[in-house]
Amino acid sequence: MRLFNMPPQIVRLCLVTIGIVGSYLVARAVLTPPSFREYGFFRGDALKDIMALPPQYGGKVSCDECHSDQFTKLNKGGHKRLSCEVCHGPGYAHTQSPDAGMHKPTFTVCSKCHEANPSRPKTHKQIVLKEHYAGGKCMECHVPHSPAEVP
Amino acid sequence: MSQKLSRRNVLAKISAALAAACAAPAAQAAKATVQKVLVESGGAKGYDPTKHKWAMAIDASRCIGCGSCADACKKENHVPEGHYYRTWIERYVITKPKPGSDEARGEVLVDSPEGGMHGFGPCPVPKEELLQSFFVPKLCNLCLHSPCAQVCPVGATFDSPDGAVLVDRKYCIGCGFCIQACPYGCRFMSPVTHTAEKCTLCYHRITRGLKPACVEVCPVQARIFGDLKNPVPDDPLQTFYKNNRVQTLKPHLGTEPRVMYAGIDKEVR
Ligand code: HEC
Ligand code: HEC
Ligand code: HEC
Ligand code: HEC
Repeated sequence: MRLFNMPPQIVRLCLVTIGIVGSYLVARAVLTPPSFREYGFFRGDALKDIMALPPQYGGKVSCDECHSDQFTKLNKGGHKRLSCEVCHGPGYAHTQSPDAGMHKPTFTVCSKCHEANPSRPKTHKQIVLKEHYAGGKCMECHVPHSPAEVP
Repeated sequence: MSQKLSRRNVLAKISAALAAACAAPAAQAAKATVQKVLVESGGAKGYDPTKHKWAMAIDASRCIGCGSCADACKKENHVPEGHYYRTWIERYVITKPKPGSDEARGEVLVDSPEGGMHGFGPCPVPKEELLQSFFVPKLCNLCLHSPCAQVCPVGATFDSPDGAVLVDRKYCIGCGFCIQACPYGCRFMSPVTHTAEKCTLCYHRITRGLKPACVEVCPVQARIFGDLKNPVPDDPLQTFYKNNRVQTLKPHLGTEPRVMYAGIDKEVR
């Protein structure tokens, strides 16, 4: 076998090189996902994979649809900036089908935000739980959706 | 080199051509199958990542350290049990300098029990010795020059065009380089999937028009979130930038974090 009068060992070397490079190119063409480099040096479809994850928290406005009483009440009082789900826990499943149920918190939720702590900003309203009416059941004197109100 | 057009020769040539004709679609089919396995996804349609630029800002002077954000992040993203956090809160306690010493400030104590998820206990320093104390929520700093994306050998960690830094779980080989590279400690190796994990800015939520879970539950608006490309009227992010002197964490590293902090002290790293 003599091509262009090249010595046979060179021809063999060329063939081996072409074989290696060729199989690399084939493997690359087959294995690289079409969306690689869609936006950059990564698989563009990875964005869609992450987008497809299901949310757990429905967002405050989603509660308005069925609980507009609580929604308007909350937005008038001292807790107007709070999201429903900070006290009630994740509610996306509940917004999709109300049968999923929703956590109904007790007075224990109040302390995580209102227990006095010197690290907290001075402007935030804090109480020393043990001293504030003996840490009694907060809901006897505060409506959770409108805390300045007495039930 | 001349060859006769024998019957055997012609047959061989025809079968070679046939084989080539069959191989082409077979290769196509093989490619399609392989890619289906690699890239199959059921993502949301109609969201164009090039049309948004999300950003977060932290107003630490408002943070009350209630831990709702860290707790919500864990629930929203199914972050594994144990000491794994995508976002967490740190408490900085700075003591008064020792009497007679010529220093401006005393010791700095930093703690983050369970990532601050269940709030913080009483101040570790008695009131008389306390100079000041505050909380700092931490998350992925969304660097402009993210070291984690630069070191990834397989293109599994990347800066998405809309500003999040994400991990492609199907591509991640779990080498852990990115965890070493992140100067803010925002990454961990998931004990469940054995891939790197981090804050995604709740990518699955923001692309649906929801706020990130931590921003949703923050009762005091210490976390501010918005889209730099599509500011809304009274955009909270623009208001924040306008009203605050901001700083970033570890600016000397040149990572150019896009998360701006207001109300933090020089001790915060
Ligand atoms: C599609 C309508 C709908 C939406 C949206 C919705 N709910 Fe409900 N919710 C209901 C219904 C119906 C009930 C009564 C179910 C029952 O009593 O078993 C209920 C009950 C509740 C309860 C009381 C549960 C109990 O044990 O008494 C709470 C708390 C609650 N919802 C919170 C929320 C929050 C927070 C949201 C927003 C994330 C929300 N809901 C969104 C329909 C809805
Ligand atoms: C400060 C925490 C807090 C927030 C914020 C909050 N809730 Fe509640 N919610 C409670 C507590 C505590 C109860 C239980 C009251 C009781 O047992 O009497 C409750 C009860 C409820 C109930 C049961 C019916 C009732 O009125 O007793 C519904 C429905 C409800 N909340 C909806 C909402 C919705 C919708 C929002 C947001 C707009 C919201 N909550 C925000 C603490 C909160
Ligand atoms: C997620 C944090 C959070 C939780 C949980 C919470 N609060 Fe509040 N509360 C706040 C914030 C924020 C304010 C606004 C004023 C401030 O910054 O101090 C506030 C204000 C108040 C006020 C003052 C209201 C006013 O009009 O001045 C009362 C009283 C109060 N809360 C009681 C409660 C009670 C009772 C509970 C338990 C049902 C509770 N809070 C649960 C965050 C919280
Ligand atoms: C016996 C009734 C009563 C009970 C029980 C009670 N409170 Fe109060 N609370 C009040 C009254 C009255 C005020 C307003 C006057 C004051 O500051 O003492 C108040 C004020 C507050 C304030 C605002 C403090 C400020 O600086 O303005 C917060 C926060 C608060 N309560 C939270 C709670 C929490 C949390 C609980 C449950 C551990 C609770 N309260 C239980 C009666 C009560």
